[in-house]
Amino acid sequence: MRSRMGMLVAAGLGLSLTSCTQVAKGLRAANLGEDANRVAAAAEKVQSCDKLKVEPAIQEEYALGSALAIHWAQQGGGLMLSGAPEEKLNTYVNTVGRNLAMQSPRPELRWTFGVLKDAKRFNALSAPAGYVFVTHGLLQGVENEAQLAGVLAHEIAHVVLKHALHQYVSVKVSTCKGAAVTGAVVSTVASKVVGASRADGRLDLDSDTGLMGKMVEGTVDAFGKGHRKDEELAADALAVELLLSAGYDPREFSRLLERTSGGGGFWENHPKKEERQERIAGLLQARRENADPLARVDVASLQRPALPASFTATVGPGKKPTGVAKDAK
Amino acid sequence: MRRWTWGILMLAVGVPVTAAWAVKKDEKLYVKARNTRVLKSAVPTADVVAVLQPGQQVTWKGADPKNAQWHQVTEPGGKPGYVFQTNLSTRPPDMELVAKDGKTRSIDPAAFVSSGAAVKALSPGAEKYGKEKGGGYADAVAQIKKLEGLALKVTPVEIDAHVKQAGLFPVVAPDTKLGPQAKKAVK
Repeated sequence: MRSRMGMLVAAGLGLSLTSCTQVAKGLRAANLGEDANRVAAAAEKVQSCDKLKVEPAIQEEYALGSALAIHWAQQGGGLMLSGAPEEKLNTYVNTVGRNLAMQSPRPELRWTFGVLKDAKRFNALSAPAGYVFVTHGLLQGVENEAQLAGVLAHEIAHVVLKHALHQYVSVKVSTCKGAAVTGAVVSTVASKVVGASRADGRLDLDSDTGLMGKMVEGTVDAFGKGHRKDEELAADALAVELLLSAGYDPREFSRLLERTSGGGGFWENHPKKEERQERIAGLLQARRENADPLARVDVASLQRPALPASFTATVGPGKKPTGVAKDAK
Repeated sequence: MRRWTWGILMLAVGVPVTAAWAVKKDEKLYVKARNTRVLKSAVPTADVVAVLQPGQQVTWKGADPKNAQWHQVTEPGGKPGYVFQTNLSTRPPDMELVAKDGKTRSIDPAAFVSSGAAVKALSPGAEKYGKEKGGGYADAVAQIKKLEGLALKVTPVEIDAHVKQAGLFPVVAPDTKLGPQAKKAVK
């Protein structure tokens, strides 16, 4: 008994040292009995879960993005859509945002930009499939259109680079592995996720609201600390490209960052604002001095348009931002 | 997830992480935005030679010596003309929604114009999910549907007018006929 348990423990340790496939094959070959076969079966299922690490299909992205957008709207106190002035505000934000998005590497998404009622937080959020939200509080801290464009471009970049989808895929894999380790696929959700790991790795979220709820809420939880530092920096870099493409001055985005409190605490994953500003300045400098005529930027041609009078009238008086000028999620 | 895994995935789907330049004369470049106009001369009001869609390629001839923001190209039909600098890219856009085979790299520019309407926005499953959760979630469903209606009304026509008013770059353009451009007042 002792030696059999010892071998199983050794096999268990082996799970972290070698591939699951090798462990499973070894255990089965050793013919150690039912316990070993269960460990082997679990190892095979865990291995199979890695097949979920594929880019979700576009329909899956739309389903996830739609449900996340519902969450962000609910958590932001709803959307500012009461009356003509607030509708006009959303139309303006969509004009600025869609101009940028149509110049992005994913111009074909149904890009939708909205203003959340939340006036306390200085925040912007995005969801797969092209949903971007800014809080009322953020708009109160914006001084010109180039600053607004900077925030929107950063969120567009998160969608283009599929950062939230990566979180979602991690949730799929962990759900699958959880079912594999516990040894039983007791729920419909776990059954569907494990089933997907044996097929093409994709889930039909639209067909099952229970499945959608589990996956979406898992993704919301996974977003607790925001995106990773490298993802934030990549989003800044693409945002600068979008701003330059449209003719906005990226230094205004940097100025907006200057007025925020920076990372740390709950925002520990976010890079420091000084690092972000340094990189933005470096990217602009590189484009300014680029010898290639296709890449070279004439900084004098870049704009920082004034906000329309209707914007200020609807948003209210400006105030100093008190949070981080980036994604809460 | 380990970063190298995502790096491979990103490469596999062709998502550009950083811009790459260094184009040479007679090399092919991609058009980025919808209704990209190839103009007869290097001014935004010049006659329209061709209208291109994202993913279509032009042959790059060089920057205009008098105005480096305009670049001389040959459009796919072989006609020479000028395209605004930031409408050109060394990398193709992702066009997964219009790919005939469902894969990401098969570009069908002709299908692009109608592709926006091909995909329903708020998905039916998400709508049902939000309504079942009730309360603020059900309200959010109704609000997002209303917002999507507003967003859809912001077409390249409205964007073009705003861009002109704000002095931004003429990248996104409305549907354009070939020949002389109609002169419209900026709103």
